[in-house]
Amino acid sequence: MNWITIGLSASTLFAMAVVISYILGWANKAFYVKVDPRIEAIIEALPGANCGGCGFVGCADYAEGVVISGAAVDKCPVGGASCAAAVASIMGVEVGESYPQRPIVHCGAHYDERKGRSPYFGEMTCEAANLVAGVQGCTYGCLGFGDCTRACKYDAIHVIDGLATVDYDKCIGCGACGNVCPRNIITITPFRKSQILAVACSNKDAGKDVMAVCEVGCIGCKACARKSELFKIQDNLPTIDYDHWDAECTLDVMEACEKCPRNRLIFVGEPSPADVAATRDKELPEVVEADFKPTVDDTEWRG
Amino acid sequence: MLSYLIDIFLIGIVAALINNFVLYYFVGICPFVGVSRKISTAFGMGCAVIFVISIAALISWTITTYVLMPGAPLTQWAAGLFMTPEAAAGVDLTVLSYIVYIFAISSSVQFVEMYVRKFFPPLYKALGVYLPLITTNCAILFACLVIMSKIVGVDNPADAWDLGRGLTLAVGGGIGFTIAIVIMAGIREELDLCDVPKPFEGAAITLIVAGILALGFMGFTGVDSGLRKAMMPEPAAVTAQVQAAPEAGGGDVHN
Repeated sequence: MNWITIGLSASTLFAMAVVISYILGWANKAFYVKVDPRIEAIIEALPGANCGGCGFVGCADYAEGVVISGAAVDKCPVGGASCAAAVASIMGVEVGESYPQRPIVHCGAHYDERKGRSPYFGEMTCEAANLVAGVQGCTYGCLGFGDCTRACKYDAIHVIDGLATVDYDKCIGCGACGNVCPRNIITITPFRKSQILAVACSNKDAGKDVMAVCEVGCIGCKACARKSELFKIQDNLPTIDYDHWDAECTLDVMEACEKCPRNRLIFVGEPSPADVAATRDKELPEVVEADFKPTVDDTEWRG
Repeated sequence: MLSYLIDIFLIGIVAALINNFVLYYFVGICPFVGVSRKISTAFGMGCAVIFVISIAALISWTITTYVLMPGAPLTQWAAGLFMTPEAAAGVDLTVLSYIVYIFAISSSVQFVEMYVRKFFPPLYKALGVYLPLITTNCAILFACLVIMSKIVGVDNPADAWDLGRGLTLAVGGGIGFTIAIVIMAGIREELDLCDVPKPFEGAAITLIVAGILALGFMGFTGVDSGLRKAMMPEPAAVTAQVQAAPEAGGGDVHN
């Protein structure tokens, strides 16, 4: 009796296994969908971070975009040049010269350099503070509530003394910080060198108005444009055309940098070997920041 | 006929609202917490669950009735080859229920996935991500086991659930899951804009919200017996078994 039950159980499962595997095997052939093998190969070649830095939903979507709609092969900011080369070899195309895309924060003012900053007790995000007039005098500059820090998956941008500062060692250039910044002061720029020149201000007001709200903001004096043709003044603000800049620091550029009365033309990027060597032996004091959050509940009603 | 329709209606209502799978039995918590970030994805997940749970109910009811339960026709015939008809009628294969359900559901979902991928690519794009996720999700296995418990071991064979009741329970449960996960996604979309205290961020506040939501759904308890009374005033119907809602009545506690 028991043996018969055991036998029946076994044969039930065996019969199910045979029937189901037959059906699935048949379905696998009958319902086979031809997928371009290149798509799978590209998915393999991509890093799989699914960060969306390429502009597609995820790595699989980008792979489909490359194969079907002919998207560029060097869009992946995480994989960089090696990944672009791998994708290009799968697609059988030549990859053009590509540079890593990195964010530049176009603001240089720390807390003590900003004027007209009022106490703000609202939601502690840039997005919310940006809706309120008068949080700080400069309506263009960084608010320092760290939306970009929260958006970054790679711990590569931090608010240091009220100013968003990119850690170029960690940054992979996905552009999440630039997308989330409500004031659009973070631009994603191709870095032709590990350090490039940038204009660290976004204020488009006239010089007098800028002086009223910021101690370091660009006053639109056009001194840089007079020294070098690299700088074009638009809306009281110098712009750098990175496409026509070969990343070489010619004499006129250096002169323009020195001439700037507000020192707003700065070099950003990874520290050069000289900088690293200079600070290598220095012992950095360990910064201990008080974290009040677990003990002080700041969710009080502020309506 | 009328009483059957009322029965069906009540099974659906009970499964969807009163004994909501997620908020009453706490099954299917994993997708409930994991996929409830956006309303659109939560709704997609809910639709996929409805779809899979219906297939699962269909298959598990069929297998239970024809193979697993004591006296199931196929098993009885096979056992009758080796033993007396009386002994063959008692062969009980319900020990296999879990493994058979998981096996059958996952392979049928696999089959349906291939079918949909071939013939309905847009639907595959919408549901494709979720289908493998919920193949043998515990909410779905739970529906199968509830249906089994209503077929096997009922005292009166006439009370055993037919396919219609089983499917209604499954679809109702799936709709209940969708309601719960969409409500949850709506709350979590609002939560993203809130200033949550640091220790409660993330999963913690989600579970707290889920608990409060479950408390809210407890308010539906007893609605089914009220509906049944309202729809069937005859004394015979009142004594009919309330299908779900294992109400831990206050009287039981005090005894």
